[in-house]
Amino acid sequence: MTTIWLGLFSGIAFGFVIQRIGATDAHRMARSHLMLDADIPRFMVLTVALSAVGLFGLQSVGVGRILPLPTSIVATGLAAVIFGFGWGLTGYCPGTTWAAAGEGRMDAFFALLGGLAGSALFAQLHETLIPILYDPTNVGQITLTDLFGNHAVAVSVLAVGFGLCAWGIGKLWRSGERVVASERGPDSGTSLGNAGKSG
Amino acid sequence: MEYKNRQPIPYWNWIPAAFALSGIVVFIFATYGPPASSSGFVSTLKGFFEWAAPEYVAAKAHYKAIPGPGSWLFAFVLGMAIGGFIAGRTSKEIPVRDVPPIWKKRFGDSRAKRYAATFFGGFLILFGSRLAGGCTLGLFISGSTQLAISGLYFGVVIFAVAMLTARLIFGKIAEKEEIQ
Repeated sequence: MTTIWLGLFSGIAFGFVIQRIGATDAHRMARSHLMLDADIPRFMVLTVALSAVGLFGLQSVGVGRILPLPTSIVATGLAAVIFGFGWGLTGYCPGTTWAAAGEGRMDAFFALLGGLAGSALFAQLHETLIPILYDPTNVGQITLTDLFGNHAVAVSVLAVGFGLCAWGIGKLWRSGERVVASERGPDSGTSLGNAGKSG
Repeated sequence: MEYKNRQPIPYWNWIPAAFALSGIVVFIFATYGPPASSSGFVSTLKGFFEWAAPEYVAAKAHYKAIPGPGSWLFAFVLGMAIGGFIAGRTSKEIPVRDVPPIWKKRFGDSRAKRYAATFFGGFLILFGSRLAGGCTLGLFISGSTQLAISGLYFGVVIFAVAMLTARLIFGKIAEKEEIQ
């Protein structure tokens, strides 16, 4: 039972933060993908850098549980292409659909329904697809530690690398002008006032 | 880029936000394990099929691998929806829209078209996530945090493909007009 409360609490905190950074706003996500707004991508990579350092701390005192997923060259890559297309088209990823649907965005609710359908189809095809796409090029649960031979070095490389990514995204993306997504613009009719629809 | 109607940005600054989210991620690793959200979809379905077609669930590997709704995974996605709801209700500045303005400029005002597209897109992101074993959170963020090559590989490809897709779909519109 504690686990469920922990999950619920973690989800509420997570959903709250990603709404506040604007990751539940498909418009802002599209602008991020178009390299017009740097904040979400650099927020994501900085989160990874900081989390990796935090997790290293946890592991050094023997707390927590880790489970790195295996890498399948074909399946992971193909899945990422399918995923990337859907992400670019809709501006939603699986986690943000829940938070954005909770926020009251109807398009996210439909993305969530589509996601349930996609999961159901994959679950149906699991026994067929995994042996064809996943298993043949599965190289196991490899991590940067295997590559660098030392855990602390690997964590440092990742944290510094992702930190540099956050800095580079700020340079490459056109984000000098921080402006609000224009809800007071021409389409203000659909904004803010739709609290009633989400109930 | 200059805009006429300049408003103060309603979103959090990305650096404190990253500290906040990584605090949550580390908390999750400490109290549960690797965070994931696409598995929550499978948990939801498992709950439904356990009621509607119990033999089917019992026979399928994908449902055997993931716990039903009485689990951290389902509680987490449910919490995400509640967190989004609370955040939405407590922010007056962040616009909540059913159809993003950039989409309207490209495809018009039709809600049905947008909903059909997000249904299809949602289908793809979850089909892909289930094939890879995780999503932006469950594979990219939580995988990379654990130094997993799978997370880094997935992350690079999803960003590249999403950026290319967005460019193909919205690139011309974004160039022509000032899309804020």
